[in-house]
Amino acid sequence: MAAKGSFNAFEMARTQFDKIADVIQLDQAARDLLRSPMREYHFSIPVRMDDGTHKVFQGFRCQHNDARGPAKGGIRFHPQETIDTVRALSMWMTWKCAVADIPLGGGKGGVICDPHHLSMREQEAICRGWVRQLARDIGPTRDVPAPDVMTNAQHMLWMLDEFETIHGAKSPGLITGKPVGMGGSLGRAQATGYGVIYTLREALKELNLRAEQTTASVQGFGNVAQYAIQLYHQLGGRVVCVSSWDQEDQTSYAFLRKSGVDLQELLAITDRFGGIDKKKAAAKGYEVLPGDQWIDQDVEILMPCALENQISADNVGRIGPRVKIIAEGANGPTAPEADAVIHKRGIFVIPDFLANAGGVTCSYFEQVQSNMNYYWEMDEVLGKLDVKMTSAYLAVSELARKQKLYMRDSAYVVAINRVAQACRDRGWI
Amino acid sequence: MTARPTDAPEKLLASLQERAKELNCLYEVEAVLSRSDLDLDGIFGGVVRALPPGWQYPDICRAMIVFQGRAYGAEGFEPTPWCLSADIVVQDEVLGEVRVYYLEERPTEQRGPFLLDEVRLVGTVAARLGHYILFQRLRGMREELLAARAAEGEDEQEAWRVPIRLLRQSDKNLYLRIARKILNHLGRIGVAEAQALLPGSTLAGDAAPDGQTETNVPGRRINPNVAVLLSEQPFELAGRHLGGREILERVQRWMQDDKASDFMRALNSPRTSVPEIADALRRFHHGVADGSGFAPSTVKTLRVLLTQRLLTEQLDFVRVAKDYVETTDFESLVDRMIVPVESHGKLGGKSAGLILAEKILQRGAQPDRPVGRVKVPRTWFIASDALGDFVVHNDLQDVIEQKFKESDQIRQEYSNVIQLFKNSTFPPSIHAALASALDDFGERPLIIRSSSLLEDRLGTAFSGKYKSLFLANQGTKQERLDALLDAIAEVYASTFGPDPIEYRRERGLLEFNEEMGILIQEVVGTRIGDYFLPAFAGVAFSNNEFRWSPRIKREDGLIRLVPGLGTRAVDRVADDYPVLVVPGQPALRANVAIDEIVRYSPRKLDAINLKTRTIETVPIADFIRRWGREYPGFERVFSVLKDDMLKKPVGVLVDPERDELVVTFEGLVMGTPFLTQLGHIMDLLKARLETPVDIEFAHDGTDFYLLQCRPQSYAGEAAPAPIPKEVPREDIIFSASRHVSNGWIPDITHIVYVDPEKYGLLGSRADLLAVGRAVGRLNRLLPKRQFILMGPGRWGSRGDIKLGVSVTYADISSTAMLLEIARKQGGYLPDLSFGTHFFQDLVESRIRYLPLYPDDEGIHFNERFLLRAHNLLSEMLPEFAHLAETVRVIDVPAAADGRVLRVLMNADLNEALAILTAPGDRPASEPTLAAGDSAISPAAYWRWRMKMAERIAEETDPWRYGVVAMYVFGSTKNAMAGPGSDIDLLVHFRGDERQRECLLTWLDGWSLCLAEINYLRTGYRSDGLLDVHLVTDEDIAARTSYAVKIGAVTDPARELPLGAAASGAGEGRRHQ
Repeated sequence: MAAKGSFNAFEMARTQFDKIADVIQLDQAARDLLRSPMREYHFSIPVRMDDGTHKVFQGFRCQHNDARGPAKGGIRFHPQETIDTVRALSMWMTWKCAVADIPLGGGKGGVICDPHHLSMREQEAICRGWVRQLARDIGPTRDVPAPDVMTNAQHMLWMLDEFETIHGAKSPGLITGKPVGMGGSLGRAQATGYGVIYTLREALKELNLRAEQTTASVQGFGNVAQYAIQLYHQLGGRVVCVSSWDQEDQTSYAFLRKSGVDLQELLAITDRFGGIDKKKAAAKGYEVLPGDQWIDQDVEILMPCALENQISADNVGRIGPRVKIIAEGANGPTAPEADAVIHKRGIFVIPDFLANAGGVTCSYFEQVQSNMNYYWEMDEVLGKLDVKMTSAYLAVSELARKQKLYMRDSAYVVAINRVAQACRDRGWI
Repeated sequence: MTARPTDAPEKLLASLQERAKELNCLYEVEAVLSRSDLDLDGIFGGVVRALPPGWQYPDICRAMIVFQGRAYGAEGFEPTPWCLSADIVVQDEVLGEVRVYYLEERPTEQRGPFLLDEVRLVGTVAARLGHYILFQRLRGMREELLAARAAEGEDEQEAWRVPIRLLRQSDKNLYLRIARKILNHLGRIGVAEAQALLPGSTLAGDAAPDGQTETNVPGRRINPNVAVLLSEQPFELAGRHLGGREILERVQRWMQDDKASDFMRALNSPRTSVPEIADALRRFHHGVADGSGFAPSTVKTLRVLLTQRLLTEQLDFVRVAKDYVETTDFESLVDRMIVPVESHGKLGGKSAGLILAEKILQRGAQPDRPVGRVKVPRTWFIASDALGDFVVHNDLQDVIEQKFKESDQIRQEYSNVIQLFKNSTFPPSIHAALASALDDFGERPLIIRSSSLLEDRLGTAFSGKYKSLFLANQGTKQERLDALLDAIAEVYASTFGPDPIEYRRERGLLEFNEEMGILIQEVVGTRIGDYFLPAFAGVAFSNNEFRWSPRIKREDGLIRLVPGLGTRAVDRVADDYPVLVVPGQPALRANVAIDEIVRYSPRKLDAINLKTRTIETVPIADFIRRWGREYPGFERVFSVLKDDMLKKPVGVLVDPERDELVVTFEGLVMGTPFLTQLGHIMDLLKARLETPVDIEFAHDGTDFYLLQCRPQSYAGEAAPAPIPKEVPREDIIFSASRHVSNGWIPDITHIVYVDPEKYGLLGSRADLLAVGRAVGRLNRLLPKRQFILMGPGRWGSRGDIKLGVSVTYADISSTAMLLEIARKQGGYLPDLSFGTHFFQDLVESRIRYLPLYPDDEGIHFNERFLLRAHNLLSEMLPEFAHLAETVRVIDVPAAADGRVLRVLMNADLNEALAILTAPGDRPASEPTLAAGDSAISPAAYWRWRMKMAERIAEETDPWRYGVVAMYVFGSTKNAMAGPGSDIDLLVHFRGDERQRECLLTWLDGWSLCLAEINYLRTGYRSDGLLDVHLVTDEDIAARTSYAVKIGAVTDPARELPLGAAASGAGEGRRHQ
């Protein structure tokens, strides 16, 4: 346990939960059940290192709650992994799956290790060792891992292979994040960005705004931002400002064009990390501003799609008077102090774990396709994504409207309520 | 043909006729010599008759041969004064003479009445006769030998006598030396008679008859008894005491040694020129394979002498070279050496290093540690003294004075020197040799590298100081030759460039007569479209000074790999990254996560464009889309990024136009023995050269080429710093003894210390993130590279940030050093990151990394100083005042009585020490190469800048420009400015738009002028030297942007007295 008074992710997750539990007046049993993971696995993974020595790594898996379906959550390789971090993250996964209304519970796992000090073979040994320890406790119908910090498709395939070897049967639904053709789903690249816009579209309807009459400023120009801009433009909206990181200058710049940015034009001068060439952009008539000025723009919509804590107490005051919606494409872009200001100003927020739930929804689709061993075409994936995101949004916004809740709170209420209800329906509490 | 022709065509005809006559004459002589029926008398008679028709005036021409006292053909004429003669030489002995007379006087030609051709003709005939006579003699001896054999039957014991007799008759001098040797030998084995025959020998029994050998009186000179040696006595003795076979064997070996000693004499004489050595070397090898039959000591001596004369005199080098570089190697070397006629030059350090490394790899590898096939590109060498020849040939002696001029003058005149050199011509012999070198190279692109003699003396210090130039080498022979001459002239001119001269001045080497050899080397690579490039190239180091994992040991080495020309691996390129691999730990990579690998993969390559004949930097993505699998070694260089996985490009399934290809060298590193072999290469070179080395290499997809090998350079601040022993405990801020690399970080003025304990106690994630933001802000405020960051655990942690401050590279980019502190927590020691989150950024920008383990035994960690010193955080960043417990900003001079912090790191000792010391006070044994690049004393940089800043303020009319006050801050104010620093000016401005414009134009003018002056002084180019920041009253009131510098708590800006009036209220009184 960490020193008293210090920051603890699990404590923070619990505090947040308690706050919502009070709002919905959750009974004690439900609180007791949901405040802690239902199951935790702690185990050792011995690995023979390349130099012939042996080293034992500590592995974890938390299954926070699987009342709504098999637990779902990533596997992190992190040198400072602690069980409290894993607990907190598994709880957040429960809420995230619930708010998106996909039939999965929450889980998280990891290994204390730093891949920078490990060879690929040693990493493979850790992956297979992790599965050997848990082969009976995970599976397509029990707990479905996914890539996370410092793990990727390669790690997933090693784990899947080990699992299938142990069980003597193919079961691609064990794990998500697989490459297309190896049990992966199409549409993964688009899912998060499109998901942001599906929810935004519904929010515009609700606020009686027409997309054609809105302008937006986007922070970031990575995967999420690019697809979000694409779909938003298809809806008729106009993005006038994007910011992107400049690797060479080690700072970010905002690219402003009042008449609207041309996505294709920008993509042609963007490197694969989402860095826009500032000289070429200037030549094409974009005004190049300091990166933090994305927030100053006189627009209806702000879309922070880069890093966490980008809207802080420092700059929340600079948000323009015309801003009506903030769609959080990034994870945790709004610091709590800033959130309070936004709430007070009455800006409509589509909270991160709803707005960017397109990603986890697509993972769910991957698992579904893997389980039936039949894979959809792109339009089918995106069509189903639209349906899922729209209904998830509507549930949250309806509750917010009816109960006069802040959207962020409403999303938590919906999520926690769904999980608590599933536990009750099963007769657990 | 007695009439003398008068006009030109007829003269030509006449001379051709003369040539025909000569040839006829030679044929006639040859015909006579080939007649087997003639004895020597007959031969001489025939030759005498054949000669006169070959002369211009045959009618009055007579020939005569004098041989061993007899004259042939002398009948019927009296010798006249108009005579040509040539000696008949047989085995170095003049045995006779051929003479040609004119009986009457004739008009004067080149040599009396004779033509030069006729002089040569008589010489040719004499030489031919000498050979004929020698041949006849040898044939006679051989017959005698055969006869003797036949007579003596199978008596082996006596068979040696005939050859010895032959020797005595044919080569008296050699026989003398051999006879002395046999006597010596007999004496040594105890034959008393032999000892008696050798009175001077110490073996004679009474070595010091007058007891004076050991005194300081010169010994008595004893004449060897030549008569005794020449007699048959020595071999008679030998015949009695030794077997026939032994005698023969010994004599044979001594004869060979004798041949070597001839060669050695040539090598030992300082007068022998390089071309003469080359000739002697070829003669020596003619018919003798290297080492065959020579005593090992002889072979070694020859190798040492050749190395010293042709490569370098550096003793360490020679000592190693004698074991690996064979005499035959020199023979092939001299064939590709371009030397002035009377050259005494050498090849210089770079060439020597390359040749030695190649031979070590060829001959020194152990079967169980194979190095694979190592090639060296075809190379021609220009000897070092060709530079002097070039200078003299063009009357450029004046440039030698260049080095004694002021540095700005040198720089100013340098472009003239280059042009002067480029417009000069090469001596004809060099010109011709370069032309034939070009024939050898064909249209292969070339690189012209310098190979300075000073490089020998200083190891690697001069690396990069002299030029290396690429040549596309395309077009007609004349174009190519012109380009080559141009390039060589430019490399020559670089000897007189400002940077090398400064460098030499600093090290007291100015008076050393710099000679520079040159390598002309084929560029390794293949042609793709209009481009020429190697598949990949790189540099490898024996010692790894940038370890990103505790599992990597220093001696595991490091390789920087790039696709295309190695230029991008050798130099650090700001916007790109080479791939780093460790031969000793091939599986541990600096970048692990897919996005890390992709982000830090090379994105551009350098190639020679054969069409434009220039080097181009090409985006790899474009290149590979265009040329795809034609790229040599495609599968070894690239991986395919697909579905969040990096995959091997397999066969035809890869579509370079559509697939995303990333340079990973995964195929090369994991799929081939390349890395293992390169590891063996580095180990072998390090072991044999007895020093860590760095090499440059290139690979054309088929073969590995070694391009350069030298002792590992400790460029600038990467030299191991001496660790002082007796430092007062209170002056030590911290020490370290784990994973220490080399380095020396002087004059740290600020420490940013994130207290690990307090950081762990922060209550909210927001606070933890705020620490990262505060560090980012400090990074922009504190003087660049003069502060260090110390903090818990892993700098740059994302996600879980509890045990490491969450920063990106941009937040730490100005620090001089990043320290990660691992404090024991319970029994658990946290894992450090080794900077992996932005490791390559740290490497490329030379930010040092050091892990600290304060709880280790024997480690000093002056927590008291760090916690007690005044914390500037709340004053510098009031909005982060609530973090003052956690983040401490320490102004070192303020906290330590004006002293600064210096961090000394020594990888050899695995020790690091941070001490408080007086600024600018260099440690006693400062690393030799750590100083800056110029002879100007470091203090001069800021003093000059300060003076200029004061001058600008003085000249600035406050009224006209609406200026209230002017300040200087940053490196100029802090006396930390280097040769490339700008001058940070802060202008308190209170005027209108027009005044603002005028002010900026005014300052712009200053900026450009100062930049030019600075360039002349230091060689640092910039677009302008001033960094001007205007602040308004509002800025000052709000304390925004640079306004905080005015009256700041730490590092405040210094006000400069303005000109005309004391403040903006002044009137325009300037230039009265």
